[in-house]
Amino acid sequence: MTQFVALHPQLHQQLRVDTSRIEALGAQQHLVPVVLSEFLKLVVHYPIVFSKNSETGQFVCSALLGFSAGENLFWRNGEWQGIYTPLQIMRQPFFIGEQQGQTLICIDVDSELLKTGKGEAIFDNQGQETSYLQQAKNRLAALINGESETQAFIKALLTLNLIMPMALDISFANQQQQRIQGLYTINEEALEQLTSEQLLQLQQRGYLKSIYTMIASLGQIYALIQKKNEQLG
Amino acid sequence: MNNKIASVVIVGGGTAGWLTAGRIAAQHRTQTASTLSVTLVESPNIPIIGVGEGTWPTMRSTLIKLGISETDFIRECDASFKQGAKFARWVTGTPDDFYYHPLMLPQGFGKTNMAAHWQALRDQQQVQESFSAATCFQEAICELGLAPKMITTPEFNSIANYAYHLNAGKFSTFLQKHCTEKLGVQHVLADVVTVNSADNGDIRSITTAQAGEISGDLFVDCTGFQSLLLGQHLQVPFVDCSDVLFIDNALAVQIPYDSEDAPIASHTISTAQDAGWIWDIGLIHRRGVGHVYSSRHTSEDEATARLANYVGPAFKNANLRKIPLPCGHREIFWKNNCVAVGLSAGFLEPLEASALVLVELSASMIAEQLPACREIMNITAKRFNETFRYRWDRIIDFLKLHYILSKRTDNDFWVDNRDPATIPQSLQQLMQLWRYQPPGDHDFTSNNEVFPAASYQYVLYGMGFETCYDNSSHLLRDTQFAREQFIKNKKTIEQVTRSLPSNRELLQKIHLHGLQTL
Repeated sequence: MTQFVALHPQLHQQLRVDTSRIEALGAQQHLVPVVLSEFLKLVVHYPIVFSKNSETGQFVCSALLGFSAGENLFWRNGEWQGIYTPLQIMRQPFFIGEQQGQTLICIDVDSELLKTGKGEAIFDNQGQETSYLQQAKNRLAALINGESETQAFIKALLTLNLIMPMALDISFANQQQQRIQGLYTINEEALEQLTSEQLLQLQQRGYLKSIYTMIASLGQIYALIQKKNEQLG
Repeated sequence: MNNKIASVVIVGGGTAGWLTAGRIAAQHRTQTASTLSVTLVESPNIPIIGVGEGTWPTMRSTLIKLGISETDFIRECDASFKQGAKFARWVTGTPDDFYYHPLMLPQGFGKTNMAAHWQALRDQQQVQESFSAATCFQEAICELGLAPKMITTPEFNSIANYAYHLNAGKFSTFLQKHCTEKLGVQHVLADVVTVNSADNGDIRSITTAQAGEISGDLFVDCTGFQSLLLGQHLQVPFVDCSDVLFIDNALAVQIPYDSEDAPIASHTISTAQDAGWIWDIGLIHRRGVGHVYSSRHTSEDEATARLANYVGPAFKNANLRKIPLPCGHREIFWKNNCVAVGLSAGFLEPLEASALVLVELSASMIAEQLPACREIMNITAKRFNETFRYRWDRIIDFLKLHYILSKRTDNDFWVDNRDPATIPQSLQQLMQLWRYQPPGDHDFTSNNEVFPAASYQYVLYGMGFETCYDNSSHLLRDTQFAREQFIKNKKTIEQVTRSLPSNRELLQKIHLHGLQTL
């Protein structure tokens, strides 16, 4: 269950966020939505792909963590095996809400992170924001700005027909075959055929480096297959 | 090359006119390399009839060829998804009497004839479901009001095959905008005053009240029932088919939904009445409901009462339109340099939504076979006439099939329909064959078939027809394979009913978010 409540200094002064348990919340996610500003950190571990939001059908950028729903190959022995975890997970238990046109910070009061009673305080005894909350707010700001930036990036790519479905047929070490559907990537052939004017526009908007980061990140699929083989073996 | 075909003039601006103009313009890239001009002349005073609210799945490829976005089409034409037709009360007339004609082939079709296996296993009480329910998962989706795809499915792609229900008036306006803005079709608003002949009997030009004389090399008659060019000017006679199909009138209403979240049926519902049937088509904002009937077998008052009874309390607020329906087609469709498309070519009752598909097929053949010059046009015309005469005849056979298998006796309408004197020889022969073998691809070998053998199977076995296999045991081999197909169908039903959204939910999401092109 999740229940979002607007953050309030008096109501939430006693709450403690058990930050050691944040990453466990992503233990069963095989795709995590990500934003452009994370790309250079993500590429260290994860294939960055396009996928569709199942509720709206709209494209999002996602880090690929596993090969089927519920499978996160980076979660092993109760730990996230990686030096960078996507913002979408690290922002827990906070969310951006909206009330009468104003954005405000909400907390999921049913979150697992609040149940141990241990961890970081959100407000101090005077009801002032802790530095922990300030960091959390920075993460939320990065996410909310990043989401609109990423949407603009995707829109520009769709207009230039630079997105294409990704055919992924994988044979694992135990001979198990799997066809992964619903993932999309950069259409490199279409990219090569862009006019210099179109390329210049992509470069000026800062999209060209994101495009090449996404292409380069696909190499991480082999690392992901290896992780899967290790689990199978 | 003599007398190059350089200009096509389409007279009439309903869906027939705009679909034809769009197909020709798109095929010949009129907007860029303008070796061909396409002009559509439309009267500002004659209203569009707009009968066609149901399409075939072919409309998807037509829209793709015109370069139309499916999201735009669905949003601007109030379109919804159609996954076939449910025929209610056609066999016995009782409330539980229904069968489906879905848009997908029976599971395993083409590998073995499932109709034979279904009948045999049903007789052994090993299959309980009707033919359509046992062999095609689409019936289950329709019964649950589910959409044929998901919001993540790209434009024009499907999980279950689909066509559309649409608002014909809005569709015309939408096509007009697309054809004039994107495809380079010239639009002239003018009333035709006279049609002017050349020495060889061709149409040289039309004289209009507002835009003077407009000449052309090929004229397409899309003037509706009046058939101004082909029927009136070129005197091509009308072949009346009301001796086979008795429907001659329609009463139509538009009914709002009870609530904003009322289900939208994802199939056409056709409910038989004492002397005709009622169509029920769900669009996004309203339903289109109408009663087509035979005036030889019932009165307008009685037909109105039947429709009122079907619709319920909402009927009293509805605006009732009466439309007389001809039944038949022109003797030929292309004469000299004039070809008729749409109602000007003919009309048959809308039981299987054949009106728009005939427009698409005609537009497609004209666009792809457009003669390069006048000297070969008579050959093209001859081929066009043979092709479409064949298609009209097959559609008439298929429509008649729905009537001859009924067991209803409540009105002479049904009894007269079963009178062999009213059944075309071609259909009688097929019925004789099907007493001993199920419909198969060998029965329909032309390149110009409209309905596949599967459609005949759905209607025949949906209506309780029995084929005798006593001397044809070879048709009942592969029993194991057939059993697997029945199981496969059940599994597919479980899968898709878990994942597909309701028809309304998907349509609302498309209005909100749009579909992706990939």
